Amino acid sequence: MNKELEHKFVTELENNQNIVHKVCSLYTNDRDSHNDLFQEITIQLWKAYPKFRGDSKFSTWMYRVALNTAITLYRKSKRRVKTQDFDGVLYKIKADEYDDTEEKQLKLIYDAVKQLGDIDKALVFLYLEDKDYSEIAATLGITEVNARVKMNRIKNKLRTILNP
Amino acid sequence: MMDELELLKKDWQKKEEHLPKLSFDEIYKMIWKKSSSIVKWIFYISIIEFLFWIAMSFIPMENDELTGPGSKTFQTVENIVEVLGYLVIVYFIFKFYLNYKKINTTDSARALMKKIIVTRKTVMQYVWFNLGLFAVLMIIVFLESILYNAEYADLSQRISEAGNPILIWFIVGLLLAFTIVLFGILLWLFYRLLYGILLKRLNINYRELKKLEV
Repeated sequence: MNKELEHKFVTELENNQNIVHKVCSLYTNDRDSHNDLFQEITIQLWKAYPKFRGDSKFSTWMYRVALNTAITLYRKSKRRVKTQDFDGVLYKIKADEYDDTEEKQLKLIYDAVKQLGDIDKALVFLYLEDKDYSEIAATLGITEVNARVKMNRIKNKLRTILNP
Repeated sequence: MMDELELLKKDWQKKEEHLPKLSFDEIYKMIWKKSSSIVKWIFYISIIEFLFWIAMSFIPMENDELTGPGSKTFQTVENIVEVLGYLVIVYFIFKFYLNYKKINTTDSARALMKKIIVTRKTVMQYVWFNLGLFAVLMIIVFLESILYNAEYADLSQRISEAGNPILIWFIVGLLLAFTIVLFGILLWLFYRLLYGILLKRLNINYRELKKLEV
């Protein structure tokens, strides 16, 4: 691993770090866990980087490694912190940006998403990132049809959580 | 009512400005930290398991001088079993290494999970193989000692002189079987606990993805 490769990698990750932060914010509930997961994803990305050939965009390649680390490789720490503690990061919305009701509703939806299982969260995440179903399917290793079916089920699930 | 996720999606991109920002140096430091992924844990635990059973095989099962015409046959059988045991261990280590090498974070989530599960299964098969081998060797050594060891000759003599030798042999055999089974159960529980904790989440997620494809 030469210096040039290190520099290139860190620069690319620095420019695309939002993707990793967003994954971390979905899968963890407190700042320490967020940082833990961020670090683990960074390590996994770096380990996989020499095989990254640039035939896909760096960011596209990142989605897979980041989600795989969050869903499969990462060991949740024992610390249990209440969900509210960290929602702040994604939910520090300036009051003037939203009217009160919409802000409240978004907060509720976001809380509902956080209650979903690991796989469901991954689908929601890719959906929010505007990925199409073929990419969602390929990332998770299921068929496109099943990705759609699953997505509909998640929407229903969210509705149930929101309107019990 | 608007689709909840559509609403969230609209908001999602706006949130980027509130995300933490790490500097080049902070990220640079991270790439040299040690991974604590479950793959790493499984790798280390597996290595310890391999070493444990290899170490076990060096513990001498019997040292006593054996006498009698049949003892040679027993020793040959014992040696064959041992050599076979080593060959199988080499095979398992090789297979484990190949499985481990195949684990790739750029696979799809499902493929990655499957590879991790297969890697773990290889090690489990190795453990069960060793347990079986251990049981077989225990039976061989036991029979050998009873039949040809001078120290135990007295014992078998007394058993055959006793009122109901078949019953006593039956009980002795039962005790041996019980010991082997108990050992097996304890080990099984230990592994359930060890891998159960480590792979609980992975198994749940894998089942969920698999369920989708049925």
